[in-house]
Amino acid sequence: MRGLVRYAWRALAARRARTLLTVIGISLGVGVLVAALGVDAGLDASIDRTVASMVGRADLRVTAFEETGLSAGTLEQLAAVPGVALTAPAIERKTFLASQAGRPVETAPVTVLGIDPSAEPRVRDLSLARGVALAPADGASALVTETLAATDGLELGDNLQILGMGAPLTVKITGVLRGDGPELGSGGRTVVLPIRTAQLLSVADGDTAPAQVGGVTRVDVVLAAGAPVDQVAASIGQALTLQPYVLSRPQDIASSLRASTLDIRSTMALLAAITLFAAAILILNTMAMTVVERIRELGLLRAAGAQRSQIVRVVVTQALVLGVAGSGVGIVVGTLLAYLAAAWLRASGQLAIEGPVIGPFAVLAGIGSGVGITLVAAVEPARRAAAVSPVAVLRVRSDTARLVRAHTGWLVVVVAVIGTAAVLLLPGGATDLAIPVRAVGVYVLLLVAVLLTPVLLAPLARLAGLPFAALLRLEERLARAAIRRDPGRTTLTVGALVIGLAMVVALASVAGSARVSATAWLADVVPGDEVLTAIAPAPVGPGGIDTQLSSIDGVALATPIASFDLAYAGTRLEAVAIRGADFLADGRLNFTAGDRTAALNALDGTGAIVLPAPRAARLGVGVGDTMAVATSQGLVNLKVVGLVARSFPGRTGDAVLVGWGDATSKFGVLGADAFAVRYAPGRQADAQPQVDALARQMALTASPVSAVAGAVGDALDRLFGLLDLLALAAVVIAALGIVNTLSMDTLERVREIGMLRAAGMSRIQVWRSVLVEAGILGAIGGLVGSVTGVLVGVLLSGGGGAAGPMSVVPWPTVALAIVLGVALAMLAAAQPARMAGRVPIPMAVRGE
Amino acid sequence: MTFQPTTADEASAPRRTVLPILEARSLTKQYRMPGEIVEAVRGVSLSVMPGEFVALMGPSGSGKSTLLQLLGGLDQPSSGEVLLEGEPIGRLSDSDATRLRRERTGFVFQSFNLVPLMNVVENVALPFTIAGQDPRSHELAGRVREAIALVDLTGKERHRPDQLSAGEQQRVAVARAIVTRPALLFADEPTGNLDFRTGLDILDALWRTCMERGQTIVLVTHDAKAAAYADRVFVVGDGQIQDEIVLGRRTDHAAAPLIARLALLGL
Ligand SMILES: Nc1ncnc2c1ncn2[C@@H]1O[C@H](COP(=O)(O)OP(=O)(O)OP(=O)(O)O)[C@@H](O)[C@H]1O
Ligand SMILES: [Mg+2]
Repeated sequence: MRGLVRYAWRALAARRARTLLTVIGISLGVGVLVAALGVDAGLDASIDRTVASMVGRADLRVTAFEETGLSAGTLEQLAAVPGVALTAPAIERKTFLASQAGRPVETAPVTVLGIDPSAEPRVRDLSLARGVALAPADGASALVTETLAATDGLELGDNLQILGMGAPLTVKITGVLRGDGPELGSGGRTVVLPIRTAQLLSVADGDTAPAQVGGVTRVDVVLAAGAPVDQVAASIGQALTLQPYVLSRPQDIASSLRASTLDIRSTMALLAAITLFAAAILILNTMAMTVVERIRELGLLRAAGAQRSQIVRVVVTQALVLGVAGSGVGIVVGTLLAYLAAAWLRASGQLAIEGPVIGPFAVLAGIGSGVGITLVAAVEPARRAAAVSPVAVLRVRSDTARLVRAHTGWLVVVVAVIGTAAVLLLPGGATDLAIPVRAVGVYVLLLVAVLLTPVLLAPLARLAGLPFAALLRLEERLARAAIRRDPGRTTLTVGALVIGLAMVVALASVAGSARVSATAWLADVVPGDEVLTAIAPAPVGPGGIDTQLSSIDGVALATPIASFDLAYAGTRLEAVAIRGADFLADGRLNFTAGDRTAALNALDGTGAIVLPAPRAARLGVGVGDTMAVATSQGLVNLKVVGLVARSFPGRTGDAVLVGWGDATSKFGVLGADAFAVRYAPGRQADAQPQVDALARQMALTASPVSAVAGAVGDALDRLFGLLDLLALAAVVIAALGIVNTLSMDTLERVREIGMLRAAGMSRIQVWRSVLVEAGILGAIGGLVGSVTGVLVGVLLSGGGGAAGPMSVVPWPTVALAIVLGVALAMLAAAQPARMAGRVPIPMAVRGE
Repeated sequence: MTFQPTTADEASAPRRTVLPILEARSLTKQYRMPGEIVEAVRGVSLSVMPGEFVALMGPSGSGKSTLLQLLGGLDQPSSGEVLLEGEPIGRLSDSDATRLRRERTGFVFQSFNLVPLMNVVENVALPFTIAGQDPRSHELAGRVREAIALVDLTGKERHRPDQLSAGEQQRVAVARAIVTRPALLFADEPTGNLDFRTGLDILDALWRTCMERGQTIVLVTHDAKAAAYADRVFVVGDGQIQDEIVLGRRTDHAAAPLIARLALLGL
């Protein structure tokens, strides 16, 4: 037995290049898996840390619903609830620091966090890099984050001037918080103030400062020891009667943060599983080649008395060596890839991830799947090897038709195994059934594409060969003949390429439709060429910013927009306040139900609401229905006056539209979050400088609609760039498979090549025929991969939306996939082609 | 050993006055292997006249194939020279050697002579296709047809190799080797894989090309019955030409005279 194991080693060593390529292929597959798991765990860890630093030791959190914040009365009611031991209120708002001499001018906003210096330490630890914590008595002290200190050149003892509704507030930096500080989503630009001081920022000149803490964004609640959370939550529900609010628990926050990362995680997991699939095909192909190539040797071993089980052990040993080596390298590759991916995600600003976590689970899953898949893939070739009869020594060629059936049949089993493993590993698989269902759909599509390849091989090869045939008829002919010689092997070779390229195309089409849905609303909904965004609610009406903007010569329209939340049927409904007349005049909003003119006019009256059609369907309301919305003054009835195809996007779908008057009088909207500015035709050039000047003066950020679209698109592109990188791993694996197959082809055809050379074929011609063979393989892969990719894309992005599936065919990427397939395949063929061109004729024609 | 190319009896060498079409001068070939050097060919000189049918005969391992490969320009000698139509071919560049093989020589091997996925016509026309010519053109199509007819395969043009018997496959190989009307046809054990009767078909086909077209042929064989088709037989042993037996052109190919001569030589 030991002798035969040594034979297994030697068989691998004899084909060192193939062994190496296979190990690299496996390691890429395992690497992508480990990276996906590492990033996944990294996101989880970051979320846990974020949640821990957000809620600290709080058991419950009460968040204000209205912009005006929680009132002093609500705070009193909350503190009086039985079982509540401590309340720690906080005010959170965005503003700017006034620029000061001797400091770099920073125009990015800062987040001001007002806390109660005596209550806060009992809920949460603010970790200081240097300096001291806020003193309860000292209203003029402030903490800044290390990040902010570094970018703005701030030091302990410096004075800060913070812009507010009234005169700038001057505070002194007494401490520097470690890193990005406690506020998620602030980009690390956070200033922490005593809550009374923070409150002053919303006091306009001439008004008197409130006597009590109010306008609070949220309150963290610590329960008395032993008080049951459920019971206290219920009591809070009864006690807080003055204002709408949201009560949440730490795990709610964690799960909503997790939900926001679900898409990217499940996509990465899917890609990892698909890359493993490509790797499995490579292994299957390599092992099958080893068997076919050594069929006579195996026959000899059998003739010499080797047991079937011994032969199986030889093949399984080979697979094991490949699997273990590949997985080992894969862990290293995966770790590097994970750091790269985490850095990429962080830089794209899409997700908060500090770094990947390559834990024992990732390592075990990597090794387990690498070795497992290799062994599963080797089962069939091992069985075939054992079935080699001792008379195989005498057979010249093996029965390819039987090999094809064996290969592809086994592929189904391999896919089923990987698919099951992937669905089990998929994050969110347990909570959202759509994800695993979709993943299975993708698998089935890819598998069908791979299995259809042998059936379509002849016509596809003819089609793919056409461009080559025009120039290199003979080479094309020989190449096509070689491709059809062993359809099973060709299928496996092209299969991996089909999968890789399909994923590239699918990602492009998903990215395309994501881009469309992320930016289409801008043109559809926004009544302007430019959007000015405010950090704090900006004044509207006579003397307000909209009036000032409208008075600029060349501005046709300036309309205020504010987003807020409505409480409807116990849920939070994202809403946007608009002026109906302005949207009517500008021709925005596409009504699918209700009369457009009547509906928009109704918004400017009272008690009207316009819903995005999908949201209306979800809520089960239609035009004419009445919705009862909770406000601080009790329930308010809003009548649905129309449905629109698309509205402003919110976190949970498009927002509902409410009239400006209702929003300010009933729903606590204080001012505009943004203004849309439409220029008169041809007047943008002269009016824009004045608009921009006003924007600067009013601390508004001006951005053309096209720039907003571009920024959204860029962010998406960065995210999909990462996914593309992972999909490319599958393409690289495919290229390795092509090297293997073509080398094998050359070895098998050494006699034919020798004969052709003796008949006068030149080296260049031999070389070219191998390159053309690769080119045809690449083109088949590109063609089938593109079609499959478009289908997968449709599946992943849910049907391509209203514009139909053809709208998501990413034609440039399809072209790129075909070119990439052909180019990569030909590149992979360079070495085998050279080898073929160098076949010495005497060696090739010598009898055995 | 004394050996002179054209000392044979007068009747046997046709067109004796013209120059030899193939000439080898002191050819040697060594294979370097780790630890030893195999001398496969050790100083062979010979010449072949146009239209002649020559056989290289000898036991296994005697260096026949190696010699044939040197003569046909498939391999390069360690020393010595090969002249084809008076022109040295031992040190040709790869592209010149390729052109030589395409235009002036034809080969038939023991097996693996055909491209599996091409039919008979395509296999026979292969040298034209390789040269970038259109084998469907009037003239070339005629030549292909003629070559197929010569090996008696008319009617099987559309068959693929796996639909032909081994003997038929070898005849396709012969047709392909002669379709370009090469100066020289080299055949290395073309009957080696065939039974006696089928082997005779191949030899008859070779013989017909020699008779009807004046094709010069160099045949390697270890079989006296095959060698008996030749005008002249070089007996190869241990990398050298040990003897030369002139049989002369005869219409019957009985092996008896050759065997008798070999016996006389003690072989
Ligand atoms: N590539 C090679 N490397 C080393 N030795 C070689 C090589 N090719 C041939 N030989 C040796 O050269 C000698 C002659 O070989 P060759 O193939 O020419 O013999 P042959 O007469 O054709 O034999 P057969 O009738 O069996 O075909 C043999 O001893 C063989 O072992
Ligand atoms: Mg030989």
